[in-house]
Amino acid sequence: MRELLPALIGLLVGAATTTLAGCQTDQSGKDGESAGSTDGDDLGECGAIEPGPSPIRRLTRVEYNNTIYQLLGDSSLPANAFPADEVAGSFDNQAAALVVSPLLAEQYENAAEQLAIANAPGLMDQLPACGGGAPDPDSCTADADAFIRSFGKRAYRRPLTEDEVSTHIELFIAGTGLGESSYDPEVGVETVLQAMLQSPHFLYRVEFGQLDLEDPPDPAQPDVVPLTSYELASRLSYLLWNTMPDVSLFEAADADELRTRDQIEAQARRMMDTPRAREAVKNFHRQWLGLGRIESQISANGKSAEIYPDYGDYLLSLWRRETEAFIDHAVFEQDANVEVLFTANYTMMNKQLAFFYGVTGPDTVEFERVELDPTRYAGFLTHAGLLALYAMPDRSSPIHRGKFVREVLLCQAPPPPPDVIPKPPTVDDTQTTREQFIQHAEDPLCSGCHRLMDPLGFGFEHFDGIGRYRETEWGLAIDATGELVETDNDGPYNGVVELANKLANSDQVKNCVASQWFQFGYGRTETKEDACSVQSIQARFAEADYDIKELVIALTLTDAFRYRHAIATQEAP
Amino acid sequence: MSIRKNHRLSRRTVLRGLGGAAIALPLLDAMRSGSVLAANESPKRLIIMYTPNGTVPANFWPAGNGPNFELSPILTPLAAHKQDLLIIGGLDMMSSLKGPGDAHQKGTGSCLTGTPLLEGNFAGDGGQSAGWAGGISLDQAVANHVGKDTPFASLELGVAVQDPANVGARISYRGAGQPLPPENSPYAAYQRLFGDSIADPLAVERRAAKRRAVLDAVGDEHRALRDRLSGDDREKLHNHLTAIEEIRNRLDEGVISFGGECQPLDQGELLDPNLVTNMPIMGKLQMDLMAMAMACDITRVGTIMWTRSVANHVFSFVDPKITEGHHSIAHKGDEDAPKIAQNSAINAWYAEQLAYLITKLKAIPEGDGTVFDNTVILWTNEQAKGNNHSRYDMPYVLAGSAGGYFQTGRYLTRPDMPQVPHNKLLVSLLQAMGVETDSFGDPEFDTGPLSGLT
Repeated sequence: MRELLPALIGLLVGAATTTLAGCQTDQSGKDGESAGSTDGDDLGECGAIEPGPSPIRRLTRVEYNNTIYQLLGDSSLPANAFPADEVAGSFDNQAAALVVSPLLAEQYENAAEQLAIANAPGLMDQLPACGGGAPDPDSCTADADAFIRSFGKRAYRRPLTEDEVSTHIELFIAGTGLGESSYDPEVGVETVLQAMLQSPHFLYRVEFGQLDLEDPPDPAQPDVVPLTSYELASRLSYLLWNTMPDVSLFEAADADELRTRDQIEAQARRMMDTPRAREAVKNFHRQWLGLGRIESQISANGKSAEIYPDYGDYLLSLWRRETEAFIDHAVFEQDANVEVLFTANYTMMNKQLAFFYGVTGPDTVEFERVELDPTRYAGFLTHAGLLALYAMPDRSSPIHRGKFVREVLLCQAPPPPPDVIPKPPTVDDTQTTREQFIQHAEDPLCSGCHRLMDPLGFGFEHFDGIGRYRETEWGLAIDATGELVETDNDGPYNGVVELANKLANSDQVKNCVASQWFQFGYGRTETKEDACSVQSIQARFAEADYDIKELVIALTLTDAFRYRHAIATQEAP
Repeated sequence: MSIRKNHRLSRRTVLRGLGGAAIALPLLDAMRSGSVLAANESPKRLIIMYTPNGTVPANFWPAGNGPNFELSPILTPLAAHKQDLLIIGGLDMMSSLKGPGDAHQKGTGSCLTGTPLLEGNFAGDGGQSAGWAGGISLDQAVANHVGKDTPFASLELGVAVQDPANVGARISYRGAGQPLPPENSPYAAYQRLFGDSIADPLAVERRAAKRRAVLDAVGDEHRALRDRLSGDDREKLHNHLTAIEEIRNRLDEGVISFGGECQPLDQGELLDPNLVTNMPIMGKLQMDLMAMAMACDITRVGTIMWTRSVANHVFSFVDPKITEGHHSIAHKGDEDAPKIAQNSAINAWYAEQLAYLITKLKAIPEGDGTVFDNTVILWTNEQAKGNNHSRYDMPYVLAGSAGGYFQTGRYLTRPDMPQVPHNKLLVSLLQAMGVETDSFGDPEFDTGPLSGLT
């Protein structure tokens, strides 16, 4: 009974996460058909332009903070006070999940107000006729007109329409009368800022596409339109930098020079070579691997002081920073590919972390590269933060670690647990953690699903609940053997280093990484219409020997990135 | 005689004597609630308390039935309020047994909406992906009805509701796919509700004048953009616009001023609201604020979400022997006596919190009685039984009669009825709050109110 059917996986491109066939119900007959299962030789069919959906995207908290910094030079991180962004999949930037609640609308108002009050004085230089003791209202308004056009273009990420300019001039004039004196231009500027920072054209990435084309790019699909250069500038800057366009992107958009693939690629390569791109790549990994939860989740639930006396909350940010610094160093300093992230025998540590790990390392609080014992450690897989995150307060957790590998790294979802769940083990110092989970292999009710998780998690058993290497557990020998099943690189392994190598050599893992980047980069999951875009991303990624930077650049060259469907007209409510 | 308070003084009164500044004052409806409510009539209130991971049924259900029942171990902390309770057995969360999502996602999204989840991309157990809940929640449906009479239509508070912000972390919905986030910080919530009341009135009025001008323009922009969009994007902008209009309208209402039972709160030393070990303190502060919001009539509808679906908070403050997370403990088998005892202790602790809230509301005089007399509290869970994800025989407790509408002091069982959708209870609560409707949530469970409650 309850035999697990082989699930068709491998080179799936049709969905970000593949559901493995159930361990509870017989799903024979269910086909595993997917958009990409034809294995790439139908590239010839990719002639038509297929952009997929382009939902309106609200700025995330990170994007809001970054945008405010670019726009105003204000580093107060106002969005940190907003409610957490709604998360779908692993990411906080998914258009479908992001909404504006009344609470968030109130906080937009508060933030806009505080930003306006703090930044209006510094902006008054741009309205010279409004200075002095008794400014002439007409000249001052003329300066305000110019300010509204220049600042508004940066806030809305496109030139304002004449209607928008006059609305804001009216607001400016009204605002000058709302201060303590009878005519206060600074309050006028405050009022304009306050409105622009609550505008939907600031808070969302609004796109309509190029609507005045004489000939559609694809006559078979007249509703498919290229993005305008301004819209594309925003797509590039929010994908590569998580913030608004810079001067150079605005100039390119002004000249309408973000139309061809070459123009876009040249910009993307320029942008990739900047510190802001490194922050965006960091943001991706923080979310994809769960690094962002290391501090909040572990500190909220704690670690057992009795079992882990060396644990302290001070470790949490160091743990997160270790993995961030390692990936940053590997991707940007070493031009490392995806395989290296899994298998590198070095990491980044500072003095405190080296002490925690018990290795010889730097003498300062700065993070530096440290070579590790290649028989024990492998890439981010052996970083303490992740191992502690996917663990219990008082022990390791082969299940959580295995589930992490299966879901996050292999993009496969194990089926749900059965309704009747037998008693799981408690901490028992006469058995290793692994021995306590033997029931999962022996009880047919458990084994169907747990064989998908536990044998991936057992590989990490040399690492305890706070991610430190151990030779033994309770004085007992550790068995870190396991097996990959239902993947494209099945087979037994012994220990995390071998597991890491098997994962690094898996096309499924590489396609999973590409799929996760698609989701993060486009703010949505893949649809059938995206098959050709996904194929081109995967092909470029493979051609570049799986260099992460090239994968990100590939995201900017697809139909999904360069085109959209024109918005169907709808009756007013 | 009514001692019904209205603390919203006219801004004209507040500003009298401040002199000088020419400030356009809005028309105030200082006696607004007086115009809505007949003399001597007190407003009804609804408070909802959510706790996750199911209960321990064997230790939850009382012995006996009807007016003759004995409280169970889990409900014992409510002994002082036994005559105010209506414990309702035999209800099934049918709407959570269909549609996409895993057991926890569905149980949480369905508990107040009575709808299945939308299709979507929230990863759940077993690759069960789902979206937000598919309809308006009970509290918001009530808020639509009674919320116009108060500055805030409703108040969503949370206690240690951890991220990620997905379907398991939201119970209130303004409509399908429109979740309302709970505020975890009692300090931020206090500022939000009463910040203007403790600030300089002239500064508050200056700010309001600017906000009016700004929000009028911003609202126009949202409206214009909405009308150019279609589908989900249009819906999104429409909802955003609605929120802006609410904020704008509130500016034309007076500022709450303290007096009578409406008194400022001393929230004590500032602590981290997200630390699990601070839960007992944060919970009390949130309940204090909820009671104060009712006393000040700043809202009449509130929810307190305790943690979240699949919460693995370690309740070591309940018993130092508890070292495992709530969700893990809730999954232990029925024969695991020590863990069953721990799970019962956690649920009893939640009952103790409910008792605190009841006591708080009973301490606020209103008319010839107390605010509690005009309140009904619903304690809901996302599951009935944690270790098998059953959502049959949900552990529902009502506290308070909503102004005599419910006949309390009883334990109701329904052995004769095999499946009763919990939508019936939601309909009964709507009716208790004066909403004239016979259905709520998924039309498949469109079955009228629950009999025998009134």
